[in-house]
Amino acid sequence: MRRQPDFSTTNRPARVPAWQPLALAACGLLATFAVLQAFVAREEAASAAARLAEVSREVEAAAARRQALETRARAAGGEALAAEEAPPARIVAEVASLLPDDARLERLAIDYKRGGLLEMLVVARDAAAWDRLLQRMEAAPRLRELEPGPEARAAEVRSLVRARWAAGPR
Amino acid sequence: MRLGFYIGVNMGGVAWLGTRIYLAVDASSVAAAELAEGVKGYKLRTLAHEPLAKGALAPGASGPNLADSELVGMALARVLGRVGGARVTLVLPDGVARLALVEPPRGIAAREYVRYRLASSLPWPAAEARFEALDAGLGKVVAAAVRRTTVSEYEQAATAAGATVDEVQLAPLLALAGLLRGRSGDAAHALLGDVAMCLALVRDGALLALRSRRRDRSPGEASRLHEELRMLASRTRNGNGDVPLALSGSDAARLRPEIGAAGSGDRVAPLGLPPNDAEAAWLGGLLA
Repeated sequence: MRRQPDFSTTNRPARVPAWQPLALAACGLLATFAVLQAFVAREEAASAAARLAEVSREVEAAAARRQALETRARAAGGEALAAEEAPPARIVAEVASLLPDDARLERLAIDYKRGGLLEMLVVARDAAAWDRLLQRMEAAPRLRELEPGPEARAAEVRSLVRARWAAGPR
Repeated sequence: MRLGFYIGVNMGGVAWLGTRIYLAVDASSVAAAELAEGVKGYKLRTLAHEPLAKGALAPGASGPNLADSELVGMALARVLGRVGGARVTLVLPDGVARLALVEPPRGIAAREYVRYRLASSLPWPAAEARFEALDAGLGKVVAAAVRRTTVSEYEQAATAAGATVDEVQLAPLLALAGLLRGRSGDAAHALLGDVAMCLALVRDGALLALRSRRRDRSPGEASRLHEELRMLASRTRNGNGDVPLALSGSDAARLRPEIGAAGSGDRVAPLGLPPNDAEAAWLGGLLA
C-alpha cells in the first residue's frame, strides 16, 4: 500500500502499526523464555559439576581400592613366578629330596604363571610311606598350600598332590 | 484498548483491534469513518455523516476556509460521537492543495523536487507551504502543496470538536492511491469533491495524466466533464481504443447517467472506486 503523505503542521510520533506492539510483546516473551532457559541451564550445569565431582571421588576411591587389592594379591602370591628365581631342576631336586625310600615321583608339573603351582603325581608303596611323604612335604619350607589329592589305596598309594613353591633366599 | 507513550513510541496511536478513524470535511458535509484494518485492506465498520449549511465551509488553497467554525465544529463533534474513538486521521477536501504530476530526476529526493517545481507557482509564500509527494508509478509522483495556515485551521477545528489528530491527509491523494492499487483498470477517472475535482488517467496501476481544478457546477457540468475525460483518455493508445470513463465522489451518482445520456457511445464505468454511502472518493480510495 502506498504511504499517504502526512500534512500535519505539528510533528507527531508516527502511528505504530498494530502488528508492531504484538511483535514487541512476542520478542519480550521470547527474551523472558530465553532468560528462564539460561537460568535452568545454569542450574543443570552446577548440578552436573557437583555430580562429576562426586563421580571423580568415587573413581579415585575405586582406584585406591583396586591398588590395595592388587597389593594384597601380590602379597598372597598371586603373582607369576620367575623361572630364573626357581629353575625346574632346583624344584625337582628339592621335591626329590623329600621323597622317602619307599615313594617315588611319577610326574611333576610346574605352572610359573600361577605363582609356581606344583602338581605332583606321587606313588607310595604303602600307607605308612604315604604318611611319611606328606609329613616331609608339610615340613618343607619351600612348599606351601599343600593339598593332597584323593588317594587310591590298593597295593600302593597313588595321589596327585598340589602345592605352591615359595621363592626366596634359602 | 489504548496506551500512552512508552519509551518514546506513540502507543496511543495503536488500535489494538486494527481500526482507524478518518474524519473528513468538505463544503457540503463532514463525515467520520471507522475502518477496520485487515489483511486485504480496509473494511468500513461505521460511517457517520452530517450535512453542513451552505457557506459554512469553503475549501480553498489560500485564505480562511471555515466561514462558520462554530457550525463546522458542532457537526464534527456529532460525527465523532457516533464512532468509537477520538484519535483520527483528518482528511482535507479537494481544493485546498495544489496538485501536479511530476517526474523527479534520478537521485533527487521526491519532496525536494516537488518543492522546486511547485514553489514558484503558489499563490502564497513557499515558506508557508507543506510539500509532499505520492508515488504514482513509472517514476512519477503526485506533487502536493498545502498552505500551513489552511491545515492548521482544520486541525484546530477538529481539536476543538474533541478529536486528537494523528495525521492530516488529502482527500484527492487518498482517492488516487485507491485507483493506483490496480483494481480499477485502465480508465479516465473524475474524482469529485464538493468544490474541486481531479481528472486522472490510469493505466496498468500507474498514473499517466492528472488535472486538478475547481468544479463548475452550473448547468451542463456533465457534458463538460464528459468532454474533458474524453480529451484525457485520448492521451493513451494514441487516441485509439476504448478507454472507459469513471466518476466517483460528490454528485457522481447524478452526473453518471447524464454523461451516459449524452449519446456519445462512450462507455461509462459503473464506478471507478467502490461505492460508499458518503459518495466520497477518498473513502472509495481507502476501500479499494
